[in-house]
Amino acid sequence: MADVGKGSSLTVFSGDFVKQWTTWGMKKAKVIAHWGFIPLIIVVGMNTEPKPHLSQLLAPV
Amino acid sequence: MVQMYNIIILLNLEDLINKYKICNYHVSKQTKTKTLQPPAFSHSPFSSPFTPHFPSSECLSTAMGSSPSRDAASNPASVDPPLASASAEPPHHVGLAVALPPPVDEKKDGVVDVNKRVDYLNLPCPVPFEEIQREALMSLKPDLFEGMRFDFTKGLNQNFALCHSVFMGSTEHPSQSGDIVKVPSSNYEFGANFLDPKLMLVGRLGTDGRLNGRVKCDLTENLILKINASLTNEPHYSQGMFNFDYKGKDFRSQFQIGNNAFYGANYIQSVSPHLSLGTEIFWLGHQRKSGIGFAARFNTDKWVGTAQVANTGIVALSYVQKVSEKVSLASDFMYNHMSGDVTSSFGYDYILRQCRLRGKIDSNGTVAAFLEERLNMGVNFILSAEIDHRKKDYKFGFGMTVGE
Repeated sequence: MADVGKGSSLTVFSGDFVKQWTTWGMKKAKVIAHWGFIPLIIVVGMNTEPKPHLSQLLAPV
Repeated sequence: MVQMYNIIILLNLEDLINKYKICNYHVSKQTKTKTLQPPAFSHSPFSSPFTPHFPSSECLSTAMGSSPSRDAASNPASVDPPLASASAEPPHHVGLAVALPPPVDEKKDGVVDVNKRVDYLNLPCPVPFEEIQREALMSLKPDLFEGMRFDFTKGLNQNFALCHSVFMGSTEHPSQSGDIVKVPSSNYEFGANFLDPKLMLVGRLGTDGRLNGRVKCDLTENLILKINASLTNEPHYSQGMFNFDYKGKDFRSQFQIGNNAFYGANYIQSVSPHLSLGTEIFWLGHQRKSGIGFAARFNTDKWVGTAQVANTGIVALSYVQKVSEKVSLASDFMYNHMSGDVTSSFGYDYILRQCRLRGKIDSNGTVAAFLEERLNMGVNFILSAEIDHRKKDYKFGFGMTVGE
């Protein structure tokens, strides 16, 4: 009986751990995506041929 | 409602994609039937007037039947030249039949040709499930807005562009009393688009810190990964959805994973050169809701009819008739069993050389019109009007879109 109790509590503990860890991961991924998505597009775009100049990026027209 | 918001993003994005002439995004070139001509131009994406609606359980279930189909509403995806109705020349006969004229294999307009033998192993690939009602939505649901809108797209490259858009006007917020409250608002959005045949990245960042992003990546020739996300600074208000699309020879299937433990799948199959049938299921983890729906689409060169039924109690039917190259008429019917809503609308869509005019009248007592006029190369002028006689709500908007 004690063994069964220990086994189930171990499963509960590891399930909790995974859930907590994925939540932490999703939160970090959300922050990274929020800040980094537009810069990512700009970096990818500036590196395709023909390479646009930095002044073209910053100038309004 | 998750679907609803994603649809709003996708709706405008499909216009953008068409601008960059990405042909392989949706309808495959095998389609034998002609879909309606795309507009010659379109306004830029992510119109700011749309305040996002956050998902709530009732909204999601009621929207299930109709909203996936509103996806990519103004998608003028078929940039392929329409294939001729008679897809093959009648074979030349030899022997005794040489003296006789070859059988005329003409397909009368709008009538299904029964003389031609159907090759059931070579059916065309159907449209994606969320675009089943594409023609009706393109004609009947332009993005009407109230206020002033200005969009400027600056292309730095063939594939890369930056975009600035300003909106000043009223947005509607549903209030406790049930009335719609109009709040004057203004916002500025900065956006960047990268469009490549294999990879598409589109992002829009508003002054309130909301980021709408979309990624579409062709992992292999038949497998496409799409990611839609709307991220905010406020906790628990962000949404995201991953879609995996697989395109087979005459079928398409899609699997979706979204936030709030949303899982969905859909499948559509061509059963004849004109008819395709599809089905979808979804499961919402946090509210323990699930649903299943069925859809059918019949299209010929001249008309398209679709029907969708969902177990959330939604029935949606649509019919679009292409009267000529420039004119098409559309009608739409939606019935929601849970709320007892019945809505039917009729509209027209004139695609002319210098402008595109869409108008519709609704059974809710609204009359709306939307005009996009091309003043010059890359300069479009937009007028939007909606009069709701029942609620006495009048919305007029104007705007300009500058940029290729």
